[in-house]
Amino acid sequence: MRKPPALLKALGIVAALAALIPVGYLFFRLGAGSEKAIEELFRSRTIELLFNTTLLVVSVTLTALVIGFLQAWLTTRTNLGFGALFAVLATLPLAIPSYVMAFSFTATFPSISGFWPSWLVLSLATSPYVFLAVSAALVRTDASSEEVARTLGLTKWQVLVRVTWPQVRPAATASSLLVALYTLSEFGAIAILRFDTFTRAIYNAYRLSFDRTAAAALAVVLVLLTLVVIWFERRYRGDYLSISPASQKRVRISLGKARPLAVTGLLFIAVVAVGIPLYSLVNWSIIGSSTADLSQILEALLGSVSLAVLAGVAITVFALAIALWIVRYPTKLGRFVELSVWANHALPAIVVALALIFLGANLFPWLYQTTALLIFAFLILFLPNALGTMTTPIAQVPKSLEDVANSLGVKGNRSIFKVVLPIAAPGILAGAALVALTVLKELPATLLLRPTGTETLAVRLWSATEELAFSQAAPYALLLVVLGGLPALALNRQARKALSEVGK
Amino acid sequence: MFKSFATLLALVSALTLSSCTSGEPNPNASETLQQKDSLVLYSGRSEELVQPLIEMFEQESGITVEVRYAGSAELAAQLLEEGENSPADVFFSQDAGALGAVSKAGLFSTIPSELTSQVDKQYSATDGSWVGVSGRARILVYNTAKVSDLPVSVFDLAKPEWKNRIAIAPTNASFQSFVTAMRVVEGEAATTSWLEAMKSNAVIFEKNDAILNAVEQGVVDAGLINHYYWFAKAKEIGKDKMKSKLAAFESNDLGNLVNVAGAGIISDNSASRAFVDFLLSNKAQTFFAEQTAEYPLVAGIDIVEGLTPLTDVRNPKVDLSDLDTLDETLELIRAAGLI
Repeated sequence: MRKPPALLKALGIVAALAALIPVGYLFFRLGAGSEKAIEELFRSRTIELLFNTTLLVVSVTLTALVIGFLQAWLTTRTNLGFGALFAVLATLPLAIPSYVMAFSFTATFPSISGFWPSWLVLSLATSPYVFLAVSAALVRTDASSEEVARTLGLTKWQVLVRVTWPQVRPAATASSLLVALYTLSEFGAIAILRFDTFTRAIYNAYRLSFDRTAAAALAVVLVLLTLVVIWFERRYRGDYLSISPASQKRVRISLGKARPLAVTGLLFIAVVAVGIPLYSLVNWSIIGSSTADLSQILEALLGSVSLAVLAGVAITVFALAIALWIVRYPTKLGRFVELSVWANHALPAIVVALALIFLGANLFPWLYQTTALLIFAFLILFLPNALGTMTTPIAQVPKSLEDVANSLGVKGNRSIFKVVLPIAAPGILAGAALVALTVLKELPATLLLRPTGTETLAVRLWSATEELAFSQAAPYALLLVVLGGLPALALNRQARKALSEVGK
Repeated sequence: MFKSFATLLALVSALTLSSCTSGEPNPNASETLQQKDSLVLYSGRSEELVQPLIEMFEQESGITVEVRYAGSAELAAQLLEEGENSPADVFFSQDAGALGAVSKAGLFSTIPSELTSQVDKQYSATDGSWVGVSGRARILVYNTAKVSDLPVSVFDLAKPEWKNRIAIAPTNASFQSFVTAMRVVEGEAATTSWLEAMKSNAVIFEKNDAILNAVEQGVVDAGLINHYYWFAKAKEIGKDKMKSKLAAFESNDLGNLVNVAGAGIISDNSASRAFVDFLLSNKAQTFFAEQTAEYPLVAGIDIVEGLTPLTDVRNPKVDLSDLDTLDETLELIRAAGLI
């Protein structure tokens, strides 16, 4: 087996060390008050938080998996009709920050709170992750084995479970991992809908009692939970099947009498996940006398876009290095790098931000409150998002193609640049778009780490709602959703690309 | 894999530990004051509100101000992490609790008494580490169509007739300051039984404005908020469209607690002092009274129409410096199952 290029290793190790900073910071805080930390952990409330958090993570992950998988299967493999439209509708919730979605729900139905609305909002906000990953996998896998299975007498349902599911399982579980960790770390929506999880307790410990030891104790539990989730994902992921892009004409599965039901279901999900938030945002804009000034909006727009692009590029470079390393040169060190990158993905952004504040202000004052440190924080926070999206397309490039390239005179690892990256490029771009989109929506870390004076749409949105002027907040929220819609639509197009190439 | 992970963790935390140096105490004392023509302000009060004020100050003083806006609690957490190496000169906080946390960590310089003396003592830190700038009163907001018998005391809300009718925001700093005051004045037992009654009577919200909206929409009959939220909403949609009214409790009732937004000096220099002085000037005090309907804390400034004067607010006698014991309050609120 070939050795991984030194550059890949160097980038991977830097990313792994970066990822360990927040965890190191937590242990430092715990060390400063271990007695109090232990006291904090052995309270009945911790058990309650553990129960609530587990309940929410499991239910949201399963729901998003079911919704996302069905949306993907219906829009790519069946005679549903309006497949392209429904695919766009299934992707769009990705553009709506979950705190905006939660807020629009409470604005429309003021009395809702607790577990059920939290479950609903997070399931709808995260199902696009599953939808996109599974769509891409479905479009790229060969449908002929399904047809063979059908001719051998299996029912539609049996084909779905026994033939289709194994093909998309790695994509489905990898995206479910993103969903689970997203739910673990979610604060905004949970706070608005008032459901107590570890993340909300951590924020409260910082913001209400300025108790950094208690916050650290709870955050360490969150890291342990993350490791459990990752372990589950590893266990059930299955193997990546490298595949050649399907080139034959597809036969669409007839839904028969279930078709109206499927259409109604998808429409209903779209109304709740996209319709209500948009209706509510437009409504705010109309009700209030919007006084937002254009130059401010442009400044925020520019800030958001430049941060998203910078972070998108930086994170993509690191994610590519790690993805290539673990897929093409599987080593123990590579697996460890991947694990450490994922391990703190469920940490609330405030923990990562405070760790970097502590380090930056006291050790690297020349880096503190610079764009560079903010991008570094985004790298720690969102590298897993990119990794989750890019690993599959890279793994799907047949190894044999590289061997062919080598036999034709492309030397050693250069086949990565000549063969692997060009073929996987659409998937890599999709990952970059996803990261840019996530950075657009990010608030807590941006607020704490941005260079003084830097504005983003999310920061403006926050600042307007702090002053209670929802009418002023609405244009920023709308713009954020519209701007987020661009990478979201690009992602969707990407996922369905092969489908349009093959034709209907 | 997990074993090597643990090893690296230990390594990283060891690195972090060894590289953390505790800062030296500020060697300013009675030496001549450092002259500066620029200022870094950490503002827990919003940009919409503060920015016009900053521009006034810059014009007047010729001092350039760089403002960092975030939530007061987040900024306090940030200041605590930054420690002695904070780039901030002044911290302008939305509430006394965040100021108390920074003060406890010993990060504030004492503000000169010619500045603090402009504000009634009950609205500043007793040790002079921070000064109150504007005040807000806790108050009852009620939907006029749903409430006819107003409660006399905040303790009346514990009675069964208020079941599911009163809205509170237990995670909100203002509510917690009020419960802290109750704990300090009435004791733990009385506070606990009030909180337990709230567990069955109250509808829980995250923020004051959510309470006000719910009362306006008639989702809940009444709620405990800060007075200026009502005036802000009235300004946004028009006073005549408001479906709710404000009501104070009886004299000296804890439900009338007056809390403050205030400022503390992190780095003592001419610019920091000039800024705090400006916040207490007639211009700035009038600005707060007009823009936010808050109470100016320096005497002789007009307040917004329809607002009871601060001297007539029958607020309980509570030392705001005692309100930084949020930990113990949180314990009570948690024990009652409200957060």
